Amino acid sequence: MTDAKSRIDETVKAHDVVLYMKGTKEMPQCGFSSRVAGVLNYMGVDYTDVNVLADDEIRQGIKDYSDWPTIPQLYVKGEFVGGCDIVTEMTLSGELDTMFDENGVAYDKDAADKIREANA
Amino acid sequence: MSRATRIRTALEQAFAPVELEVEDESEAHRGHAGYQDGGESHFRVRMRAAAMAGQSRIARHRAVHAAIGPDLMGEIHALALDLDAP
Repeated sequence: MTDAKSRIDETVKAHDVVLYMKGTKEMPQCGFSSRVAGVLNYMGVDYTDVNVLADDEIRQGIKDYSDWPTIPQLYVKGEFVGGCDIVTEMTLSGELDTMFDENGVAYDKDAADKIREANA
Repeated sequence: MSRATRIRTALEQAFAPVELEVEDESEAHRGHAGYQDGGESHFRVRMRAAAMAGQSRIARHRAVHAAIGPDLMGEIHALALDLDAP
């Protein structure tokens, strides 16, 4: 395993929820990263953000790790969940809630419902 | 050939979709990261194809990425996908 891959592997296994993104959860640098971070922030999820713009090795390495060409990328319990479109769809369908429930990830259910109401 | 046409052609050949929309929404991203002069940087695809049935969301996206190919994927900045079976 390359250095980047082993670093990513350690990170996604050490934290329940990890978002690889452009920018930080406080200051996203891309609209797609911003959307996913915004959902997690609003739902009050405790997650680790990794700014790929701060590390070229990780920026490429995360694409190789998941065999996925784009950023952001969300990981829960070490498993790749998806990018912006998939996380958005799962939020609106309630699948994200279910996945958090099944993995013991705490989140604000009312906030998740509000997102769905606002997008109904 | 425009990138939108290349994307459309690749998806038609790979999936024979019953519905396919390929939208170049680059202008909406003017001034944002990844915007390229002349547009053709940000695309949105809505596709309904029988080939998407019974596949996970990740598998659907991966199949579309593969059909478009690494060269064209590398040329564009963003590809929003709405994929489902008919």
